[in-house]
Amino acid sequence: MARVPIIRLGDVLIATVQDELYDHDALQFQEDLGQLLERGVAHGVVLDFSTVATVDSFLARLIGAIAAASQLLRAAMVVVGLQPAVAVTLVELGLTLPGVHTALNAEKGLALLAHLRRDERVG
Amino acid sequence: MSETGSGVPAQSGLQEAIEQQRATISELLTPVIEVWDGILALPIVGSVDTARAQDMTETLLERIVATRSEIVLLDITGVPVVDTAVARHLLETVSAARLLGADVYIVGLSSRTAMTLVQLGIDLSHITTRATLAKGLALAFSRLGLAVIPQLGNTRHPVSPDRETP
Amino acid sequence: MPTCVAMSALAEAGGSRQWRVDVAGEEGIVAARQQAREAAKGLGFGAVDQSRIATAVSELARNVVRYATGSCGDVQITELASPENGIGLEIVVRDAGPGIANVEQALRDGFTSGQGLGMGLPGARRLMDQMTIDSVPGRGTTVTIRKWRH
Repeated sequence: MARVPIIRLGDVLIATVQDELYDHDALQFQEDLGQLLERGVAHGVVLDFSTVATVDSFLARLIGAIAAASQLLRAAMVVVGLQPAVAVTLVELGLTLPGVHTALNAEKGLALLAHLRRDERVG
Repeated sequence: MSETGSGVPAQSGLQEAIEQQRATISELLTPVIEVWDGILALPIVGSVDTARAQDMTETLLERIVATRSEIVLLDITGVPVVDTAVARHLLETVSAARLLGADVYIVGLSSRTAMTLVQLGIDLSHITTRATLAKGLALAFSRLGLAVIPQLGNTRHPVSPDRETP
Repeated sequence: MPTCVAMSALAEAGGSRQWRVDVAGEEGIVAARQQAREAAKGLGFGAVDQSRIATAVSELARNVVRYATGSCGDVQITELASPENGIGLEIVVRDAGPGIANVEQALRDGFTSGQGLGMGLPGARRLMDQMTIDSVPGRGTTVTIRKWRH
């Protein structure tokens, strides 16, 4: 399986997570993203899960960790496109991704990031 | 599975009918209403067991995706008993909708239900509630940056008389 | 990557379809859950149940990769049909690893052993209808999970 592609769109990084991600690819992505954020390349990250059919506890925890680390690196992260079946399964596992922003799709995700950025400047 | 003489499995026709009825009942019991662009209302009437809660959640999530809604008004005024099991189901529905990027406001909460939720011992700080559906809708509007403004000069239109007299 | 000792196949299940996936590393996690999802889809399980089944298999297969000697194990998927329960899917995840000393404790949420956080067993149990664990310390573990089509 290939790496998770990360595209830069202005001040935001957009990563499209593939279905059936191997563990080492997920961890590699975590590192790739971390390095980009460390360099101050972006202040927002959109993590698109719309093509992912299975999210297990490993991936769910990784999302939480990436979100927390991103925040420390001064970037807001939003997870978009989680499928209904995935949402139900995660909730049944007790993994509700607290503290992780979510949106229906990439478009709404970008809007949310812009909103958060505005709030940050004011606050 | 047994087969009839014609070679068509006898069970599958009945099974299909049952499935169809179940889907209809599910729709009737869980009407998800789009009250405004981006705002869904889900009034729950009657008791909620695990099967119904799961059905409800799935239907709601599908509608959130289909209507691209960001706010859900979960009205529990019509739920007679909210014990810890039901409370857990409701909170799971809230969590699942949130994972899709929709905010859920619980409306019609009684003080007894409030106590039950507190007893669950989970973090309720992220739960938004309002006393009525109307108040929930007002909050939803304000969240979306909308306001209801009375039109100046126009008096309220009277209700039209019923022309048809038997 | 260490080569896994081939495990003997489980008994054939009559007319029902059956699949077997070897787990010898993390690729096995994805392969096993993909096969489980396919099998579930073939039996007419809905999207949410497919997700539950795939995720449960993922949790158990990951346990094999994490804790079993050489990450070796296998996953056997079998279609079920019973008069009481109807149509269902059974997945047996086996490994010849260290075994679980205290199954009760392992099933309690948040149990940790070895590296990483334990989630596999309690998680899989929540998602499936039935789960049985057969573990002999020093010999290995066999976890059997089942889900019935509702």
